Amino acid sequence: MNLLLQVNGAPVQVDVEPGVMLLEVLRDRLGLLGARGACGVGLCGTCTVLLDGEPISSCILLAPLAQSHTITTIEGVPDDDPVVRAFDRHHAFQCGYCIPGMVLTARSLLAECARARRSPSREQIAESLGGNLCRCGCYVKIIDAVQEVGS
Amino acid sequence: MTDPRIRASMRYPNDLTVPGMWHARLVRSPYAAARVVGIDTSLVPQDVVVLTPSEVEPLGGYGCQISDQHVLAGVARHVGDPVVAVAAADEATAREAAGLVEVGYEELSAVFDERDALRAGAPLVHDTHAVSDGDAAYFGLRPLEGTNVCHRFRIRTAGLPQGEPYTADPEPDDHADGFEAAQVIVDETFRMPAAQHVAMEPHACVAGWRDGRLEVTTGTQTPFNLRQDLARLFGLPDTDVRVVCPPMGGSFGAKTFVRTEAIAAAVARRLDRPVRLALDREEEFVTLTRHAATVRVRLGATRDGRFVAKRVWCWVNTGAYADCGPGVAMKMGYAGVGPYRFDHVAVDSFCVYTNLPPAGAFRGYGAAQSVWASERVTDLMAAELGIDPVELRRRNLLVDGDRFCTGETMHDVHFQELLDDAARAVDWRPGGDNRGKGVAVMLKGMQTPSRAEVDLRRVGDGRFEVLSGTAEMGQGAAQAIARLAADLLGVDADQVEVPPPDTDRVPYDTRTTSSRSTHMMGRALEAAVEDLKNGGGDYGHGRVVNEGGLDVDTGQGIASSHWHQGAAAAAVEVDDETGLLTLRSVHAASYAGRVVDRAAAELQQEGSMTMAIGTTLFEELTFDQGHVVGPNLSDYNIPSALDCAAVSQTLLEVEGAEVHGLGETALPPVPPAIGNALATLGYRPTELPLTPERVLGCAEDAS
Repeated sequence: MNLLLQVNGAPVQVDVEPGVMLLEVLRDRLGLLGARGACGVGLCGTCTVLLDGEPISSCILLAPLAQSHTITTIEGVPDDDPVVRAFDRHHAFQCGYCIPGMVLTARSLLAECARARRSPSREQIAESLGGNLCRCGCYVKIIDAVQEVGS
Repeated sequence: MTDPRIRASMRYPNDLTVPGMWHARLVRSPYAAARVVGIDTSLVPQDVVVLTPSEVEPLGGYGCQISDQHVLAGVARHVGDPVVAVAAADEATAREAAGLVEVGYEELSAVFDERDALRAGAPLVHDTHAVSDGDAAYFGLRPLEGTNVCHRFRIRTAGLPQGEPYTADPEPDDHADGFEAAQVIVDETFRMPAAQHVAMEPHACVAGWRDGRLEVTTGTQTPFNLRQDLARLFGLPDTDVRVVCPPMGGSFGAKTFVRTEAIAAAVARRLDRPVRLALDREEEFVTLTRHAATVRVRLGATRDGRFVAKRVWCWVNTGAYADCGPGVAMKMGYAGVGPYRFDHVAVDSFCVYTNLPPAGAFRGYGAAQSVWASERVTDLMAAELGIDPVELRRRNLLVDGDRFCTGETMHDVHFQELLDDAARAVDWRPGGDNRGKGVAVMLKGMQTPSRAEVDLRRVGDGRFEVLSGTAEMGQGAAQAIARLAADLLGVDADQVEVPPPDTDRVPYDTRTTSSRSTHMMGRALEAAVEDLKNGGGDYGHGRVVNEGGLDVDTGQGIASSHWHQGAAAAAVEVDDETGLLTLRSVHAASYAGRVVDRAAAELQQEGSMTMAIGTTLFEELTFDQGHVVGPNLSDYNIPSALDCAAVSQTLLEVEGAEVHGLGETALPPVPPAIGNALATLGYRPTELPLTPERVLGCAEDAS
């Protein structure tokens, strides 16, 4: 079937099987490799993208259901984004495989906090990032980075 | 410029595609032990290629320490053993085709527990044990033919009877073991279960053949071992295999030696085109695990708290294939002695085959299992003697000039400072009320013997290139090497490039394991810079060799050319009704010598502690008749951002000291620190992880 998707601010058309997941479309058809498959069941957060600003697991979202929503991948986040800069400054990564998902989830949390005019606590940040797993265990520095942007 | 990892401009092995490549998928055994008796491919589409065990049998066996594995298994030895490979032009077709291959099996009897596997009449997982002749079989391997033991390691300090006949289940003999001067003896058996590495990036490789040469791009910590193992398997000189190793999305020991590469190479040769083989998460659980181990520790002391003798037994469950299990068993053996003085030490460590998925390298490399046992016993002894656990350790810890149980003289040791630092972090009150608090201390060896070589080239504009076999898996090795080289050359770090290892370009390095690379590559770089400066300034070569090794029959020799030293402390609370254990504080203190990159060093420590929290509280690979129960991240939980609030750390530096690797040091002492803290609250934990059920089960007043 023919899909019309809004990815990182631009419309893209792809012809896919109806059962294909959004992650496969992003990686195999659009060459956007920042979302990564790691658990296959929507639990680890490495395939996170933002759908209308909300983090979702692209490995379990049927691609056709992403039509009529805006999709943001890490490739759509600018290099001077405050969260990107904070992750870099705090050295909040090791292997980096999970980091795009972390950055996107953190951006969603911080946008929500900005709307509510509040700063997230460490506990709230940890809660929000609880679905993004980092086996290297960079959580302390990741929370430091997100907290700095949120304050 | 921000780091390329943050916005995904760095490519991992799993991202790799090559024009014209096909995709392989595997058909895996549903039985723990079974002979393949028939393969029916009549339903498989014509445009799919199928590779069977009989086609690859002429290649023979491989294995880094024992040659016990085949490219595809004609006799499956664990659930998930790859039996058939299929390949197609696209992954979906290959996936579907794998499900259409019908394999007929004749089921054989299987054994799963490391102790059961040693009983008379237990099924033999392998009929014979052929010792590998590769570089990774660097010590005397002692398989016991006619048993499931693929290696046994023994320590007998001077004065103890040597060379007594082997038994797989030796009983203590206090006369022979040197316990005669012991006034108090504590003896307890512990267990740590199997675990999964769960690198976020699963295994992925692309293999292809070009003009008779094999080229493999893969995530591996062991590019030169992999090159050698593949070369021998395919009957090539080492130099006709090229291994390229892009930065990995984590490894923790999982990406070592031959994993999926031999199958991909065999399929690629059959197809005469490049083949990609990437695993699903579920397959990771049957590809490599952490060794489950049963460890018994018997400790003798005088009433005033002087350690007299120690006896350690390790039964190390290596699963269906030895992999580097013999090395893990050896290191588990001496790490279980701990950094203490004794009159006598006797250790027996057995690496045992079972019909579980193979176990291999895992962060902590054997030390995690035996330090859990050994440091719990130290606290049991403290309780028995009525001596403060920190004080008891302090009286017996090795200091500079003491001899370790291997006979080697210890130098640059800092166990007392590390222990004191950890104790302070939980507000330890000497001789006072320390309920809910625990400490632990450990030593861990670095790969010895080993060799590191490096080439350094000027590439113009004042820039340099460092050609090193050290693999990047997130530990920050490439950056540390760039920084060390820049310091030595007197240039900025961004003037130094460190490309990923390519065995066609970089000189030999033993492997990126055992937290050795910053230390060994750092020293090789010093030699290379000196060579460059002496020789015109355009090229330099550095080479560092650490001699040593242990006699596997006596455990005497040089276990490690220098020592990873660490201590940990924990403060916990437990809900006596539910058994829920809550961490109030977990602190690790590690000896860094000299810190090269502070952020990376702290990350390695925090990462080790976080992984250790998973090991202590909830990570456990369970099996039902050899099947992994819940091979997914829903059933198998790893720590999240919600699990690290209690973590803190110290990096101990000493002016002018040499660089010490920090990749693993903070892992092994954390489980016993937490276990010892729990033990002060009326529990006697022996088995990990400390789930609420297990906590309630080990309550002292439970009947």
